[in-house]
Amino acid sequence: MNTGPIIRALMRNKLGAALIALQIAFTMTVIINAIFIINERNRLMDQPSGMDDSNLFHVTVIGFGDDYDEEIVARDDMEMLRRTPGIVNASVVNAIPVSGSGSSTGVRLIPDPTSPATGTAIYRSDEHILDTMNLDLIAGEGFSETDMRLRYESGATLADKAVVSRALVEELFATEDVDSVIGETMFVDGDKQLQIVGVVEALQAPWPTSTLVERSTIVPENFIDSFSRYMIRTEPGQLDRMMAEVEELLVANNSDRVIRQIRSMPETRFETYRVDSALTTILWVVVGTLVVINSMGIVGLAVFSINRRRKQIGTRRALGATRMAILRHFLLENFFITTIGVSIGALLTLGLSIVLTTNFNMPTMAWYYTPIGAFLLILVGQLAALGPSAKATRVAPATATRSV
Amino acid sequence: MLQMTQISKVFRTDLVETHALREFSLQVDEGEFVTITGPSGCGKTTFLNIAGLLETFTAGNYLLDGADVSKLGDYQRARLRNEKIGFIFQSFNLMPDLNLFDNVDVPLRYRGMKAAERRERIDAALDSVGLLSRKKHIPSQLSGGQQQRVAIARALVGEPRFLLADEPTGNLDSNTAMGVMELLQEINSTGTTIIMVTHDTELAQKSRRNIHILDGRIAEEGASTSAEPAAVPA
Amino acid sequence: MFLYYLRLSALSYRRNPILSTLMVLAVAIGISAYMIVFTLNYTMGGDPIPHKSGQLFHVQLDSGNPNTEADPPVQLTYIDAMHLQETSRAFRQTATSKFSSIVEPANPEIRPFSVIGRGAYADFFSMFDVPFQYGSGWDSAADRDLQQVVVLSAELNERLYGGADSVGETLEFDGDFWRVVGVMQEWNPVPKFYDINNGPFDNGEEMYIPWRHLVARDLPRAGNTNCWKSIEGTGLEAFLNSECVWIQYWVELRNADEEADYLAYLNNYVSEQKALGRFERPMNNALFDVNEWLVKEEVLPEETRILSMLAAMLLAVCLLNTIGLLLAKFLGKSAEIGVRQALGAHKGSLFIQHVIEAGFIGLLGGLLGLVLAGYGLEGVKLLLGNELMVTDWIRLNVPVVIITILLAIVATIVAGLYPIWRACNINPAMHLKTQ
Repeated sequence: MNTGPIIRALMRNKLGAALIALQIAFTMTVIINAIFIINERNRLMDQPSGMDDSNLFHVTVIGFGDDYDEEIVARDDMEMLRRTPGIVNASVVNAIPVSGSGSSTGVRLIPDPTSPATGTAIYRSDEHILDTMNLDLIAGEGFSETDMRLRYESGATLADKAVVSRALVEELFATEDVDSVIGETMFVDGDKQLQIVGVVEALQAPWPTSTLVERSTIVPENFIDSFSRYMIRTEPGQLDRMMAEVEELLVANNSDRVIRQIRSMPETRFETYRVDSALTTILWVVVGTLVVINSMGIVGLAVFSINRRRKQIGTRRALGATRMAILRHFLLENFFITTIGVSIGALLTLGLSIVLTTNFNMPTMAWYYTPIGAFLLILVGQLAALGPSAKATRVAPATATRSV
Repeated sequence: MLQMTQISKVFRTDLVETHALREFSLQVDEGEFVTITGPSGCGKTTFLNIAGLLETFTAGNYLLDGADVSKLGDYQRARLRNEKIGFIFQSFNLMPDLNLFDNVDVPLRYRGMKAAERRERIDAALDSVGLLSRKKHIPSQLSGGQQQRVAIARALVGEPRFLLADEPTGNLDSNTAMGVMELLQEINSTGTTIIMVTHDTELAQKSRRNIHILDGRIAEEGASTSAEPAAVPA
Repeated sequence: MFLYYLRLSALSYRRNPILSTLMVLAVAIGISAYMIVFTLNYTMGGDPIPHKSGQLFHVQLDSGNPNTEADPPVQLTYIDAMHLQETSRAFRQTATSKFSSIVEPANPEIRPFSVIGRGAYADFFSMFDVPFQYGSGWDSAADRDLQQVVVLSAELNERLYGGADSVGETLEFDGDFWRVVGVMQEWNPVPKFYDINNGPFDNGEEMYIPWRHLVARDLPRAGNTNCWKSIEGTGLEAFLNSECVWIQYWVELRNADEEADYLAYLNNYVSEQKALGRFERPMNNALFDVNEWLVKEEVLPEETRILSMLAAMLLAVCLLNTIGLLLAKFLGKSAEIGVRQALGAHKGSLFIQHVIEAGFIGLLGGLLGLVLAGYGLEGVKLLLGNELMVTDWIRLNVPVVIITILLAIVATIVAGLYPIWRACNINPAMHLKTQ
């Protein structure tokens, strides 16, 4: 089909075409950047914690009363929980990964407190923790009962050993050979020595957006201060039942305490990523709305322009144009407008993407977003124009001869 | 009343110049009933549009009621149209979603008249065309002849000095057309000047003065029975 | 004439119901998106205490790690906070921090439960204009003498005493007995400016006690604690003497002179401390008033700022859409416009008629947009699972409702300017002959 007449007709209705093209350009800019943000957030939310999330839950226990002795209570609780059918293992732990609250510290290879330190999340727990969290030990070994230290007052780390995540090894030792760091010493709290006994594939820090999200250290040490968190792993499928029963089990063991925040790991993740998941939902709504508005605009103006040209269409039909030719004419017209729109849109997309990366903590968009977005928008444009164009093909050739 | 001297109207596009009127001169006196005839594209509608201040002209001079209108701006032209001129169109041009009362109301709205006076005048105008009882109807509920009567009521409601009619009977059957023509003659008899474009020579015969236009110029000017000699402009 | 044009607008809407409804929808969607984001920004980034935000200052002392370039700590050490409190050089001042404790209700039917409380000095309540339902805050004698007095939040009072006037009642927590001196009204400033680093959109604490109890009783801290230097030794004493920061410090200064004096006093204090070997970084003390502090701490989440940009573009798309549709609509009215001109309408009156018609669409769009924004905010609230009172704000705030509708009307008229201009400049002669 000869495209010349279509382009010339478009040039005579510049404004209508320009409006649609601009609308498509803005739509494309928003949609592509929104989808990019959605993908980034999804990637963040999908980061593995390193643990067996779906079978883990945790609970906070706060003792009160003068004769409450956490040392004894915690030991009894652990024995009881580990014995309970349906529970695989349980540990006392100072912080829950991805929960948003915990401790971090700096570690060094030299005992010089003025030298730069590598930040790491620090988990204080017991010798069961690797099994409780079901961490993937890729080098060395876990802790034994004799490694355990109990601490009654705040102060420097007491433990002598540590299990670290692979990411911390890579950052601190600048090596990927995890076996080579087993037995190495790192310093914490200035000159306190920690000997690395094991490396786990992954363990997320409590703060998922922090730069040290993958860097974690576990030390065999429990703080006895009447406030403790238990991490509990259940048999597959037993999570809900055990979460429902755990309060009763714990209160039966000792009633001088408050049991709070019985929460599964998936729930904790959901809470932590709430804003991210809210943002992705909102952005999907924005994307959907834009596609609808855009299609509305295309349909509205196509109907208008076709109605205005009914006579012309009738004349064309009278002069021998087939229905197919009329359909092609309007679809091609839409294609030209959309193509101009997505070309402007590609530039705007790039602009907004630069604004977003420079002003916000966001990576650069991959190149393929723009062409895929452009292609999809052209497709949406063609679909939106299909209805009105099909209607145009039904204009009777006789229209040409009628005056009204 | 209306005096056009050497009026020219040229439509220009990129490629062609069309001379719709060429040095067109005409004088119409108070109380006359003039019909304009001529083939399609001869310039009769252009003449009517210029006479009705709907269109400007390229050259020449136009005095309406003694006043030079060629230099007037949009606002004054609109005022003159509103106060001195009434329009009647071939396709009636009633507003489809306004009822008869509101349709007739339109020119009065632009005159900023008080509601009570407007109501009185509209009722009188509708009554004079015999449609007062249907003032709450919308145009599509009426026949073509009735619609044109409403259009005439609308044209008259502002008590204009002269009436411009563009093929007012063109969309009507001959019986109805006669009725409309009689109504116009009746209006003319009360002193309102009427200029009517038509290609119905039979109707044209009924006026006192007929002007035939060809290629933008007055080709011949005839007077039908009992007509006074027409004043030929200098 | 205005009412006449308004009636014409309504009639015109009826003539092209689909086109007109599309326009109303486009305006409504654009406006509601914009208002949702505007509301979020306003609530989350707004001034939580507008009548005195310029007189309340967050105190920053740079006691941070001299070996890093990190920002100054946002909280104070015990040593510094206590010095400021003891010297009391400001008009009003308070150290404040969060703790957790277990309440053992006298009513045996209510099991003991844990609460998050806040330690503060007597000035806290007058500085931040805390509203009271019953009683009041404590006086400075209570701070000095470590009286066991407690102020309850409305919520905790509801839970413990069914909302009755509990002033004078005795409450058991942390294994001891405390006298209730006041019950606050619902008080949830958004953002929670007085403790931003522990969650700017968290709910307020459930109980308030004189700050020194936190140390005297070694109550568990519930807020952030940051230590750049390891604690020398163990135990509470070692912690208190460490460089760990965990106390927020606020002062009320009534004018620029007081502000300058106070800053000079802070600098003087830090100089003295430098002589003792503390404060190894360059002198960097500062006073931030409430709004400066909110900006400095970037309280407004990145997400709302990204959404602001996207919402503005969404509105632009909606308005572009409206321009196109209005153009279609007005040009479709060419015949009517021609007739009106023939009957005496001048360009000015046509302009006004179409401005009103566009404004009418805008008005409908604004009204619908308000409804959509209401639902949208409910949705956002649901997604965030947060008790931000954003929907109440938009629902109850008459100026916001008016601004929304005005914005919709003005935006639609601006979008309509070109179509209106085209409508006013239609050559009537072209459109009178046939329809």
